[in-house]
Amino acid sequence: MSEGPSRWHTTGSLARALAVGGFGVGVALTVGRPAVVVLVGPLLVAGSLGLLRKPTREPRALAHLSHVQLYEGQGTRSRLETEGTDDAEFITRVMGQQPYLALHPLGGAVLSRTDDLQPIEISPRRWGGRLVGTEKVAMTSAWAGYRWGPVPLPGREMFVLPTVTRIRSGGEAPQPIGLIGAHRSRREGGGTEFSSIRAFHSGDRLKRINWRVSLRQGTLHVESTRAEEDTAVLLIVDAMADYGVSEGVDAAESSLDVTVRAAAAIADQYLGGGDRVSLRVLSPGGEYAGYGTGTRHLRRILTLLARIRPGVPRDVSIEQIDFRATAGAVVVVISPMLSEALAIATVRLVRRGLPVIVVDPLPPGSTPNVHPDSAIQVAGLAWRMRLLDRSHLLAQLSAAGCPVVPWNGPRTLEEVLRRLARRSQLPRVVG
Amino acid sequence: MRLTVAPSVWAVRVVGILGLLLGLLGGVPEGYTPSVAVVAVVLLGGVLAAFRPDDLAASLAMGVVVVFWAVQLDTQVPVGCLVAAAGLVTAHVAGTLLTYGPPFMAIPGDLLVLWVVRGFLVWLAAPVIWLVARVYADHATPTSFWLAGLATALAGAVLAALVVRPTAESDR
Repeated sequence: MSEGPSRWHTTGSLARALAVGGFGVGVALTVGRPAVVVLVGPLLVAGSLGLLRKPTREPRALAHLSHVQLYEGQGTRSRLETEGTDDAEFITRVMGQQPYLALHPLGGAVLSRTDDLQPIEISPRRWGGRLVGTEKVAMTSAWAGYRWGPVPLPGREMFVLPTVTRIRSGGEAPQPIGLIGAHRSRREGGGTEFSSIRAFHSGDRLKRINWRVSLRQGTLHVESTRAEEDTAVLLIVDAMADYGVSEGVDAAESSLDVTVRAAAAIADQYLGGGDRVSLRVLSPGGEYAGYGTGTRHLRRILTLLARIRPGVPRDVSIEQIDFRATAGAVVVVISPMLSEALAIATVRLVRRGLPVIVVDPLPPGSTPNVHPDSAIQVAGLAWRMRLLDRSHLLAQLSAAGCPVVPWNGPRTLEEVLRRLARRSQLPRVVG
Repeated sequence: MRLTVAPSVWAVRVVGILGLLLGLLGGVPEGYTPSVAVVAVVLLGGVLAAFRPDDLAASLAMGVVVVFWAVQLDTQVPVGCLVAAAGLVTAHVAGTLLTYGPPFMAIPGDLLVLWVVRGFLVWLAAPVIWLVARVYADHATPTSFWLAGLATALAGAVLAALVVRPTAESDR
């Protein structure tokens, strides 16, 4: 709603017409120059018409958006509802410029007649909190004699969700421990995938009997299958820093962009398969979502991801964080691994026997944001040393049995998970 | 994103400056030629007005044009006055169009057409006054000028009072 005691006020156009017209008439009368009246006569007429159309009603304006929740790259429309605009002829709307917010018409400025209001199209280009729809509205009376406003209209704080590419992955969980799901379990049960042919036990279903083998062996044999279970996925998102330049969706991505979009894609992939997903963000906000399933849980995870602000976690060190990784859970750590503490925590999870995968979101060639006063050469050298440390850390993680893969779309984890599943099925020497 | 000035805004700015120059130079064919300094002052005012249309620069530039004509002419009413009036109306309309929105907003075609028509209609007052002035050129005296001026001022005051009063009520 329009705020404050806004009033119609005279325009510069009206003031100019009356001032020049009055001055001209004054000069003509004073020095006796009828030709000057010819010059300023039209301006006086224009000014008089502007005066005659002086508005008498105070209009109201209210802007509203067509959508309250958006994914990055999606668009919505801001429409203006007005009251008492009988005295206004044109309405000008100018939307505030915000980073990662594309507006149409260009610049978010639109001029339309009061009886044919044009909407402004808005498209957030990056996930995160955005103030959408802040604008200024002005109305102009006929003959441009009076103007109402510009009146600021407040926008809406919106958490733009990261985009999700819906691809159902064929990756299986290495150690699914759950109830009913889509992942092949190591134990036998009532699934669909063939496991072995074994002797009949009491309790076996008759339809499982393999008659050909039973006749050959002389005793009843049944086909056993693997149980199919759901799994738990723990997403650990490193939001302690953002490296590289972010230009929004379908453009250059920063490390945090890749991190957030990868987490969203993995959560969508597993929740879509009926699995349980938990999220733990390492950031000042410490966003956390416990294990859950379904589309509502996915929406919750996406909203938490959209709320991320990069920074080091407050009040707690990474070593002290309880990641609440349950037995059999797949742990996906999305991190550029520039923090040694997080690498140590990751190794600790691996040593607990959990399948842990590190997804590297650092885009090639990305650099940190350096303070303008810093020496560029020194900063470049420091970054190179940091990258060397990182490559050493990643090699150590791989040696500890934790695969490290760069993010390459929703199918990134498939091959790694297959390898982990095969590894988990191999016989082990128990000491 | 860096916003650039819309091409239509540039066009209207140029038209506004040309309008002011037309107002000043409209009498050149009849021998009313301004000095280079006056042209420069009006041009400067026009440029300022093109970028700050709500400021005083446009009014001052128009005022210079009015003073130039008042100095150049005595009681004669040449045809050049009509051209000059058209120039001033053009400059006024251009200045008005520029105040509807920020410079990066394109000026819509319907608004442009509306103001071109309005500009032409108000300009029609100039030939009417010109004709009246021509007809009464030999009869008018300084006294009759003063009487006409007083009548105009009185009519203007009544009009202004009529217009302003309802606003005061609505504000309460």
